Amino acid sequence: MRKFNKLFALAMATTMAFSAAGCGNSAKESSESTVESNEATEQEEVVEASDEEEKTSDGDNILRTAASFAYPSLDVHKEYYGWYTSIYGLSEALFKLDETSTAVPCLAKDAVSDGTTWTITLKDNVKFSNGEPLTAEMVIKNIQRVAEINGRFDIFGTFSYEAPDDKTIVVNTGDEVYPTLKSDLASPEFGIIDLENTTDFDNDPICTGPFVITEFVPEGDVKVAKNENYWGGDVNLDGAVFYYMQEDDPKLLAMQSGEIDCYNSVSSAALEVYKQEPDKYNVVSVEGTRLQFYILNENTMDGAVRAAVNLTIDKEAIASYLEGTVTAATAPFPSSAAYSKVSIPAVDTEKAKALLEEDGYTLNADGIYEKDGQPIKLNIAYYAARSLDTLAILMQEQLKAVGIDSYLTVEEDPDSTYIANADFDLALYCMISDKCGDPLYFIDSTLADGAYYNVAGFKNDECQKMIEELRIETDSAKRAELANKIIQIAIDDNAFGYVGLFNHTTVMKPGVSGFAENIPFDFYGIDANTTK
Amino acid sequence: MNNKVIKRIIELILLLVVLSLLTFALMYLAPGDPAEKRLSSQGVAVTKEVLNAERARMGLLRPFFVRYGEWLWGIIHGDFGISFKDDMPVAPKLIKGLKNTVVLALSSLMFSLIISIPLGLVAAVKKNALIDHVVRLLSFIGNSLPNFLVSVLLMYFFCIKLNMFPIIAEGNLQGLFLPVISLSIPMIARFSRMIRTEVLTQLSEDYVTGLRLRGVKEKYILLKNVFYNSIGHIFTIIALQIGVLMGGSVVIETIFRWPGIGKLVMDSINARDYPVIMGFVIIMGTIYVGINLLSDLLNKVIDPRVEV
Repeated sequence: MRKFNKLFALAMATTMAFSAAGCGNSAKESSESTVESNEATEQEEVVEASDEEEKTSDGDNILRTAASFAYPSLDVHKEYYGWYTSIYGLSEALFKLDETSTAVPCLAKDAVSDGTTWTITLKDNVKFSNGEPLTAEMVIKNIQRVAEINGRFDIFGTFSYEAPDDKTIVVNTGDEVYPTLKSDLASPEFGIIDLENTTDFDNDPICTGPFVITEFVPEGDVKVAKNENYWGGDVNLDGAVFYYMQEDDPKLLAMQSGEIDCYNSVSSAALEVYKQEPDKYNVVSVEGTRLQFYILNENTMDGAVRAAVNLTIDKEAIASYLEGTVTAATAPFPSSAAYSKVSIPAVDTEKAKALLEEDGYTLNADGIYEKDGQPIKLNIAYYAARSLDTLAILMQEQLKAVGIDSYLTVEEDPDSTYIANADFDLALYCMISDKCGDPLYFIDSTLADGAYYNVAGFKNDECQKMIEELRIETDSAKRAELANKIIQIAIDDNAFGYVGLFNHTTVMKPGVSGFAENIPFDFYGIDANTTK
Repeated sequence: MNNKVIKRIIELILLLVVLSLLTFALMYLAPGDPAEKRLSSQGVAVTKEVLNAERARMGLLRPFFVRYGEWLWGIIHGDFGISFKDDMPVAPKLIKGLKNTVVLALSSLMFSLIISIPLGLVAAVKKNALIDHVVRLLSFIGNSLPNFLVSVLLMYFFCIKLNMFPIIAEGNLQGLFLPVISLSIPMIARFSRMIRTEVLTQLSEDYVTGLRLRGVKEKYILLKNVFYNSIGHIFTIIALQIGVLMGGSVVIETIFRWPGIGKLVMDSINARDYPVIMGFVIIMGTIYVGINLLSDLLNKVIDPRVEV
């Protein structure tokens, strides 16, 4: 017994030591990663003083919110970290995207194209949070750095740049016209950093945004404070805290307990709760840019079956089933965009049946259409993410109701399986359809000859010709017109079906506004106009 | 004794090599491309050219044995490699996660033992009495409740209804309370039942009858003999549970924002971050096998008749 007592005491002591060490180290790590920036000292005090107060967010001017993602670095140009420095209000790009997916001026006044040459003019009064003015040379260095360290933008490394004066940048795109330069420069990865004075890109980049970093825990919480030197004028908030919370239920509970003021990517279950108390919670939902769609295999299905599928799939019913998390797509892009003006045939199951019967299909004893003794049995391939599993089941039911039988094939990784080898009749997929306010990326990815997702036999010469035009057209109105025609061809060919766009849903306490709640893109958050 | 321990340690090393090779092979064969996961982590599609360039940069195009050999050579030299997800060194990530998980796991284990040992003893001594039925019922319920449900219910009760804790807790003692309770509930349920069974087994032994016939007090028999003889079994239970605790607390860690290794590994699996997963397997394998060895040695200390 004495031996046991000793062992037990030892174990208890070890646990206590571990607990103390763990807790102590957590605090130490937190303080280690706290950014000591001279310029931000006062702001830090504001934020840290607020931490002394109650956790509930009333009574101060610090916005508290939850973030579903957290990254190990604040280097704006690397990976997708710029999305989050933009959400935190730290970094700004030359242009930003508005509610209609249009690139509007931010740090730059304008960008004008003349064939292979773009001339970008910067605003006069822009300066970094350390007070240093933004120069054309600095912008060029930033663009070159993005091209160097972010593989998705390596094409910018092939362009040549000049700065004829302090506020003008001339970009020469070589032999080929690059019409999406302006909208590409609205990508948050092109947020501008003071490369001369930033010493710690991962923890404390000096940017132009309305907020500066005060505490950054890699893959954890982030605290920012008002940038007292903000070039754009007054900043409404004193600061903000972004708590890293992946799970939906704790976010809902934190909202109910008053520990956070707002968040986006609200789940359907939480949405139901918030809708019941409209005086306590303001919910704003707009179509986002994340598209659920399916590819119809032209090599394995004839035109009548593909048309019947598209006339049968009831997107409204699917959106209703998904309880407010998606909006039935009227185009692959948010309906507010100029390049989303296409016409998709309405659901008409009678017409679908008639089309099949005209093509020689007859209903067999099992209620399934068949031709030459072969009943239709579609292979619906999907992966279990972004509600595609639910979509697959709902679509299977809808198709069965009109006499089209199917079976489901689930894959872990669609890109290396059914997309790579086109082994499907109907393939479900989800992707961002509009990454920076231009239709070319999506069209190039799904409709162009040889495109990564054009794997199921879609080929149309007229469409390809217009895609080539789209690759060089610089006028945005003409680009939208071309994009609408291209997408319409794919719709008329029954090559694809655009099912739903995930909603960008934000819940806010009364008084909170300006949390990018009306913008369809995922990479905006707080700015100078955000209020609490 | 010493030779046997050395033999066990050699076996442990061989086991870890086989384990690492198997894990590496399974991940090599598993669907999913780390380069694609990294470039499209926000749902943005990339071109084949960009994808291939990234694969080459990450070293994914090299043969299996070259990659495995390099990784093994690194591990031998204490280098766990670079994360596929963000190019950050793997070792600090694992150490930070492991440290937090060890705090959570050991705290939960101690809390569970403090509650379940008396419960198990009482339930055994009062077999078929009301208290025994209550313990068994609670044990059944505790074992059946899923972790996420327990966590959310505790959060709702303690944070919203009683307002005792914040939902958004920091990594301190206050923040440790609810995760520990959540992790402990199923463990208390399991431990108390196992302890009850073991104590009942001991109580039916002849030596207990003999002690009773000699007039030794029941309380003395229970604590001095029965419980002492059950300790070896309890150590084995604990040893088995530590592995489960270390790797299985991912739900708790995610809900309570506890930056432990379970959450790190789940994120790494989703991102196909093989260096982190491999590092985790090696560390967990070492801990699991090491604890089992330690448990055997402790059993030997308690009862010299036990063979290591």
